[in-house]
Amino acid sequence: MDEILTKRRSPRNRAMIAGLVIVFAFYFIAIFADFLAPYDYREQTRQEPSAPMSNIRFRDDQGIWHLRPFIYAQKLADARNMRYDEEVTQKYPLTMFAHGRPYSLFGFVPSDTHLFGVESAERENPPRLHLLGTDQLGRDRFSRLLLAIRFSLLVSPAGTVLACIIGIIFGAISGYAYSNVDSVMMGIADAMISLPTLILILAARAAFPLELPPITAALLLIMIFALTGWAEMARLTRGLVLSMKQREFVIAARSIGLTERRVLCRHILPNIASPLIVQATLMLPAFLLAETALSFLGVGLQEPEPSLGNMLSLSSDLVMLKASPLILLSPGIVIFLFVFGIRLAVRNLNWGVKIL
Amino acid sequence: MILIVSAISFTLLSSAGGDALSTLRENPQVSDKTIEGLKRIYGLDRTFAERYGLWLFGAVSGDLGESFSFRIPVRTLIWSRFLNTLIMSFVAFAIAVAVSFFLSILSARYRRRFLSGFIETIVLLSASTPRMVLALLVLVITLRFSMSAPAAGEINLFQLFSGAIVLSVPLISVFLAQLRVGLADALNEDFVRLARAKGLAEWRVIALHALRAALNPFLSIAGLSFGGLLGGSVIVETVLGWPGLGALMVSAVRGRDVPLVMGVVLVASAAVWLGNTIAEVLQLVNDKRLRSDNRG
Repeated sequence: MDEILTKRRSPRNRAMIAGLVIVFAFYFIAIFADFLAPYDYREQTRQEPSAPMSNIRFRDDQGIWHLRPFIYAQKLADARNMRYDEEVTQKYPLTMFAHGRPYSLFGFVPSDTHLFGVESAERENPPRLHLLGTDQLGRDRFSRLLLAIRFSLLVSPAGTVLACIIGIIFGAISGYAYSNVDSVMMGIADAMISLPTLILILAARAAFPLELPPITAALLLIMIFALTGWAEMARLTRGLVLSMKQREFVIAARSIGLTERRVLCRHILPNIASPLIVQATLMLPAFLLAETALSFLGVGLQEPEPSLGNMLSLSSDLVMLKASPLILLSPGIVIFLFVFGIRLAVRNLNWGVKIL
Repeated sequence: MILIVSAISFTLLSSAGGDALSTLRENPQVSDKTIEGLKRIYGLDRTFAERYGLWLFGAVSGDLGESFSFRIPVRTLIWSRFLNTLIMSFVAFAIAVAVSFFLSILSARYRRRFLSGFIETIVLLSASTPRMVLALLVLVITLRFSMSAPAAGEINLFQLFSGAIVLSVPLISVFLAQLRVGLADALNEDFVRLARAKGLAEWRVIALHALRAALNPFLSIAGLSFGGLLGGSVIVETVLGWPGLGALMVSAVRGRDVPLVMGVVLVASAAVWLGNTIAEVLQLVNDKRLRSDNRG
C-alpha cells in the first residue's frame, strides 16, 4: 500500500478528483432536479404510453440542415405493438430555459423555468421531449429519473448521519467502559454486524403498512438504516478510542485534570476523525443500495413517487426489458456510477487510512 | 442472540397496526363474523404474550406454526426453499474464494504493476456493482440469447450458476482486497525470509507459509460476510426467479404473513450464526495461538 502511495501519487489524485466530480455532479442533479427535469414526474399522458426516446434532429425530412435541434411530434400508430410514428409536417424546436410546470427551487424560490423543453407559439400543448421515453402510464422517464436521484441521494446521507451518531456514541462509551461492559457492548455490535441485515430490514418493514406517504416512508427508511447500520461504526470507534487512550497527549490531558468528556471530545475525537469519516462515506453506498433494494421489492417508496429502486422494478416487464434494456436499466447505471464515484474518491484519499 | 432477534421481530410485527386480515377487513363482502372466525383459526384473538409464548414453545420443539397465506406448515415451506438458497450461496461462496485466492496468489508471486492495477480495478468495480443491477443484466442476457424467459419455480443449472456469479461479485471485492493486503504483509515477515532461505520454491513459500498467516483475517471477514450473502440472495432470487428463502421472505412481507416472516428470520439468523461459528472454529484450527485463554 505504502509503496503504491509514494510511487504513483499523481494518478491517485487524478482518480480521487474524478470520483469527487462524479459524486458532486450527482448532488448537483439532486439539488436542481426540479429545474433540470422538463416535466412533472407524476403527470400522465394517455396518448403516449411506453413511448420510445424522442429523436432530436438537426436535419428535416427534406434533407435541410438546421442549426437548432428540433423534434417531430410522435403519434401512437399501432397500439398493439406500441409502435410510434413521427409526424414530419411540423417541426418543434428545442428551447433553453423553457417555461413549464411551476415548482419551487430549494423549496422556497418559486419558478417555472426548466433547463430545456419544447415551446411552440401555434399549439397549446407542444409535443413532449422524452429523453428516455415514457413508462406505461405515459410519464416522462427522464424527469422521474432526476427526481428519483434526488430522493435516493437525500435519504441515504440522512440515514448515514444518524447511524454514525449512534455508532460513535456507542463505540466511544464502549471504549471507555470497564472490560465487562465493553465486551457485552461489543458482543451486541458483533451480533448486529453478522446478522442478515436485509432480511431484518424486510422483517422490520413488514411491521408497517405497505402503503405509506412518501415522507413517512423516507423517515421509516432512515430509521431502519440507522438501527441496522450503527454497529460497524461502533466497532471502529471503539478500536480507535482504545488505541488513542494509550497515547501521551491523552494521558497528559487527563493528568492536568480535564474531565473525561472534554478529553474525549476535544482530544480523542478530532484525532480519529479521518478514519471515521472514511467509514461513514463507505456506509453511504451501502444505504443507497439498501434503499433501492427495498423500493425495488415494493416495500420502500411507493408509486407515484419515483425512486431508483421502484423505477428499476419496472424491468419486471420482460418484453420491454428485452426491447430496450438500456432505458429500463438507466436507474441501475445511475446507482453504479454514484457508488463507483464514491469508492473511487475514498480509495484514493491520501489520509493514511487503510481501506479494504 | 437468536432469542433476542426473534423477540424484537415478533414485537415489531405484532405491535404495528394491521395484520394479515386488514385487507380482508376493508372488503365489504366479508362480514365481521367471518373475520372473528378467521382470527380464532389464526390465533390472532389471543394476547400478545400468549402468542409469543406459543410461538416460542412451538419453535423450540421444531414447530414454526402455519403460514397465513399458504396454509401449510412454515417448516415444510421453509425447508425446501432454504436448501435452494444454501446451494446457490455455497456455489457463490466457492466462486468468490476461488477467484480471490487465485488472483491474490498470482499477484503475490509475480509482483507486476499491471497485475496489481488489474486487481485494484476488479476490487473497485466489483465493489460498486450492485447485485440488483447485475441480476437484471443477467436477465437481459438470458432474454437476448436463450429466448426463453426463466419460469418462476423452475430450477436449472444455468439459473443456478448465473445467480451464484451475481451473488459472488461483491464478495470477491471484499475477499480479494483482504487477501492481497494479508499476503503482502505476510511476505515481509521473518518466517517467510526463513522459508526462502531454506531454499523452498516461491510457490511453496506463498502457498504453505504466507497464505497460512493471511488466512485468519480472511476467515474472520468471510464469517462476517454470510449475513450480506443471505441479504443479497433476496434480490437475486427475486429477479432471477430462483425459489429460495429470499424470494419467500419477500412474498411473506408483502402478504404480512407473520409466522412465515418469523420463520425465515429465525432460520436465516441461525444459518448466519452457524456460519460465523464455523469460521471461528476454523480460525482456531489454523492458528494455535488463539487457543490460549488470554486473547484480549
